[in-house]
Amino acid sequence: MRYLFAFATAWFLAVIGASAMPYIKVLGVTPDLVLIFAACWAILREQSEAMVVVPVAGLLRDLTTSDPLGTSVLAMAPIVLLAAAVQMRSVDTQFLPTVIVVAAGSLLYGIISMLVLWLTGQEIGWGDGFFRVVLPAAVVNALFTPIVYLPVQWLSPRPKPGLLGRRGRLTSPL
Amino acid sequence: MRFVLWVAAVVAVSLISIMLSQRGTTDPVQNLSLTITAPLESGLRDVASPIDDIVEGVFDHGDLVRENERLRQELERLQGQRASQQDAQQRVAVLQEALGVKQDRPEDKLLAASVIAQEPSGLKREIAIDRGLSDGVDEGMVVLSRNGSLVGTVSRVYKDFAWVRLVTDPDSAINAQVNASASAPQTPAPQASATPAFPTATPGVATSPGGGAPGASPVGGVAVGDLRQGVVLDLLPSDSPITQGDLVVTSGLGGNYPRALLIGSIKKIEERPQAPFQAASVQPAASLSSLDTVLVLISFRPARLTGP
Repeated sequence: MRYLFAFATAWFLAVIGASAMPYIKVLGVTPDLVLIFAACWAILREQSEAMVVVPVAGLLRDLTTSDPLGTSVLAMAPIVLLAAAVQMRSVDTQFLPTVIVVAAGSLLYGIISMLVLWLTGQEIGWGDGFFRVVLPAAVVNALFTPIVYLPVQWLSPRPKPGLLGRRGRLTSPL
Repeated sequence: MRFVLWVAAVVAVSLISIMLSQRGTTDPVQNLSLTITAPLESGLRDVASPIDDIVEGVFDHGDLVRENERLRQELERLQGQRASQQDAQQRVAVLQEALGVKQDRPEDKLLAASVIAQEPSGLKREIAIDRGLSDGVDEGMVVLSRNGSLVGTVSRVYKDFAWVRLVTDPDSAINAQVNASASAPQTPAPQASATPAFPTATPGVATSPGGGAPGASPVGGVAVGDLRQGVVLDLLPSDSPITQGDLVVTSGLGGNYPRALLIGSIKKIEERPQAPFQAASVQPAASLSSLDTVLVLISFRPARLTGP
């Protein structure tokens, strides 16, 4: 059931991403709600769930875009690894790690996407692509994280600390 | 170890999917996906479009007022030019008939299509339309705006849907020419009355396809998509007499685009003192960010489709 819910949400966000979201441009880019959702799921849920949900979310995203099928599956895979790496640190909040994973995941997503497009014979402006699309996307996706994070956190079975940890303090050794 | 196996599996599945996708094996799946999502996407676009207009209206009110005023002046000027040009066109038609000159594209067939989705990644500039192979659409076909200016070409086609690569996509390269007006400043360039309103049997043809002002030779270049500037007209001879506002049209060279389709107008000329070529940024004539309906030119077979 939880997988069904995750897939349905990812599909709906992918549809929104290809239809309504292009009208919302911040810093010249469109927030990637599927990527943010995948990152939130990877942090807030079990790793075993993330290992299924993230690739499927990527696949659903590919089905609504012109990218070769499999591009987002590959490009979103680092999110699971980033989430696992971030969770190794003991931090009494899950929001900041999520933002970090969204930002870093967006960077890796953009770079891998560019690489795939280049390998499939498409013209890629590496400099413009990175500085005008990938980098702003990392910032914008991080800014939009709360919109997806809060509902996913609310549905998450784990204890729910405040947005910035208990009493607003980070209790990690970071 | 679990992660290593997972990564290996994901990478393997992804690469196989990408390869199958490149070969078109997954097209039915993607067609089915678009069939399911198209009604929802169209509805969401209809909802989001006015919101976008409102946001733009709030933040760009001053710019819109100024632009409105500028466009009114432009309209008045163009109406004057059109009036004088209609007479010239009639004369040309009479002379062509008398001389037996073959018309460029007397019977263009256009297929109207709705835009259902837009590529969200930002790395590409593509839109999805609700027409596909079953409607006679094929890869490489030229896509126009409702007013007849160039939007792009069909980059990928499924049974019922197609993706259109916009002229602003980095993968887009079009042989173009500038109808330079600088060489004949006293004579208003007749090319401005280019685009007939929809519906029309003839797509936006910038008149006087061989050039702009009478006696002025057209300046050839390549209009390439650019993530930063939209469209850049490159490989222009360094001594080209182009000025801001000159119209950029397809040259027809290569056979992938019909001749004299309006691409846009020169926005800014890049200064390259030592370079053998100059470049200019181009303002696309079609409003590419708010397309809802486009026209596929199905009667024109691009060279890449008809070639050996």
